[in-house]
Amino acid sequence: MTDTAFPGTIDAPAGTEQQSAELKADRRQARRAKQASASKQRRISRFALAIFLIVVSVVMAMPFVWMFLTSVRSSTEIYSADMPLWPSEWHWENFTVALERAPFGIYARNSFIIAAVHTVSNLVLGSMAGYALAKIRFRGATPIFGFILASMMIPFYAIVIPEFLMIRFVPFAGGNDLFGQGGTGWYDTWWALLIPALVSPFNIFLFRQFFISTPTELMEAARIDGASEVRTFVQIMAPLIRPGMLTVALLAFEAGWNNFLWPLLVTSSTNLRTIQLGLSVFRQEAGTEFNLLMAGTTMAAVPMIVMFFFFQKQFVNGFVGSGIK
Amino acid sequence: MSTNTVDRQALSKPPARRRGATLTQRQGRWGLLFAAPATVHIALWTGLPVIVSIILSFTNYDMLNPPEFSGIENYVTLANDPVFWKALGNNFIMAIVGIPISMLISLALAVMLNQGLRGNSIFRTAVFLPHVTATVAIAMIWLWIYSPGGNGLFNIVLSFFGLPNQAFLASPSQALASVILVTIWQGIGLKMMIYLASLQGIDQQLYEAADIDGASAVQKFFRITIPMLKPVTFFILVTSIVGNFQTFDLIYNLTNGGPANSTTVITYQIYQTAFQQFRMGLATAQSVVLLVVLVVLTIVSRKVTGGKDD
Repeated sequence: MTDTAFPGTIDAPAGTEQQSAELKADRRQARRAKQASASKQRRISRFALAIFLIVVSVVMAMPFVWMFLTSVRSSTEIYSADMPLWPSEWHWENFTVALERAPFGIYARNSFIIAAVHTVSNLVLGSMAGYALAKIRFRGATPIFGFILASMMIPFYAIVIPEFLMIRFVPFAGGNDLFGQGGTGWYDTWWALLIPALVSPFNIFLFRQFFISTPTELMEAARIDGASEVRTFVQIMAPLIRPGMLTVALLAFEAGWNNFLWPLLVTSSTNLRTIQLGLSVFRQEAGTEFNLLMAGTTMAAVPMIVMFFFFQKQFVNGFVGSGIK
Repeated sequence: MSTNTVDRQALSKPPARRRGATLTQRQGRWGLLFAAPATVHIALWTGLPVIVSIILSFTNYDMLNPPEFSGIENYVTLANDPVFWKALGNNFIMAIVGIPISMLISLALAVMLNQGLRGNSIFRTAVFLPHVTATVAIAMIWLWIYSPGGNGLFNIVLSFFGLPNQAFLASPSQALASVILVTIWQGIGLKMMIYLASLQGIDQQLYEAADIDGASAVQKFFRITIPMLKPVTFFILVTSIVGNFQTFDLIYNLTNGGPANSTTVITYQIYQTAFQQFRMGLATAQSVVLLVVLVVLTIVSRKVTGGKDD
């Protein structure tokens, strides 16, 4: 679609302006005729492609649309034999009814706190370690990096039982003695929800990748100018990988908000339930009242969806820029 | 870091040497200091648990009494447990059926997206949303879509075509396929994004050179695009397998492993054995099996793809 400034027409000599103008017009005409048939064909295939992609989008988005449509249906409609595809009446009060049945507000607050803490801790601890492994040569760097790589391969489900036991037997916590006996440790506390996932090996690996592509000269220049190592890191190097920071932040927040198994294992009181766990428990209460269940599901899903809408570009750019292979 | 002789001679003068040494030392201390908090945390919350897992897998342990050494008894129990084999098999079926399908779809979509149509971002959003959404919420939605009553979306569609209602998740023969469909739907987004990023990273000069040589679109796809995507395909394959073997939220909320264990997976077995039966020794043996399976799969898939790890 670029029909301006063709390289071949630029270097016409100034003296033969008229001649070159004719020549230009001639060439342009020939080119247009040739382009016309090709572009027509291309336009048709592009049109077909667009239609196809629209169909795929609709199919992919359909479950969410169905979730939302169900969340505003009346109870009678849910159970009626000929339920219309489009709700006949919009019952927004389903959301308030769901909120009365289960404290989704508390659930959401808990999940938000966990997600926020894990985002900050992953950014700070992860970027420090990633920076050191990418930019500083120090004794132990190779084994540490090997250890991080190996840890990335460890599935969470292979270590979940010891982690649970560690929470349960933390010394001097929750009535425990020195040997972790006699009490419940960190079970059903904020510590259990927050501490084990403060930093993930994968995020350290990501940060290392981001830092590897930053110019070492800047670091050296800062050092020559007398900046301390901390200042070099905080003020010179870390700002260079802002898109990477955002990527890790989004990943960490998503993981925190969407986590289910760990809160399921280490909490028992309603006040510590996360949104996903609360939703899963609510399912038992709502039973077959799918309109209420879908209202709860909408509340659990929408924050992440909104966040994705806001940060979509950064998300994608982060992935592209970070060179994840 | 190979220095040539000229550089080495230039640097070998004593003053330069000494300054370099102290600088390296100072840096080294800071390097360790920067890396230490995260490394210690991971050693404590990932490294230590792996060791504890392996040790506990050779014991009988119910959390009330101290662990009792029992040799390989737990592994023998597992080898003779048909449900555990069923779980392993289900994981394999989910991987072998689900991953290739979702990879092919995501590759096709990424190539189409890469044509630079308008409205790209809407499409990307729609395809990526399932990945961003919590699996618990996803499970609730599909529970309703698969509802065996007449008001499940799929049964509405079936009756529109005059077909009889199906039980889907409630049927032992359809449940696993129904679960796989959800994993495909959920997995396309991320794979597509990674493929797209990789496609956009391919040097356009390669295609221009092929154009000059008169290559067709099909030739360009198979001779340039596919080979260039090999490393990323390997990456997606390995991470998908690893992810597949860690499916838990979906199973827990969709089927509870049922009906008749037709959708149970290793992670669900670990959960049941450890946190419902409190047979911690047996459960850690299961988790060690999971660990071994994933490591072996990683090595095998690496060989198959011929890709190299960075």
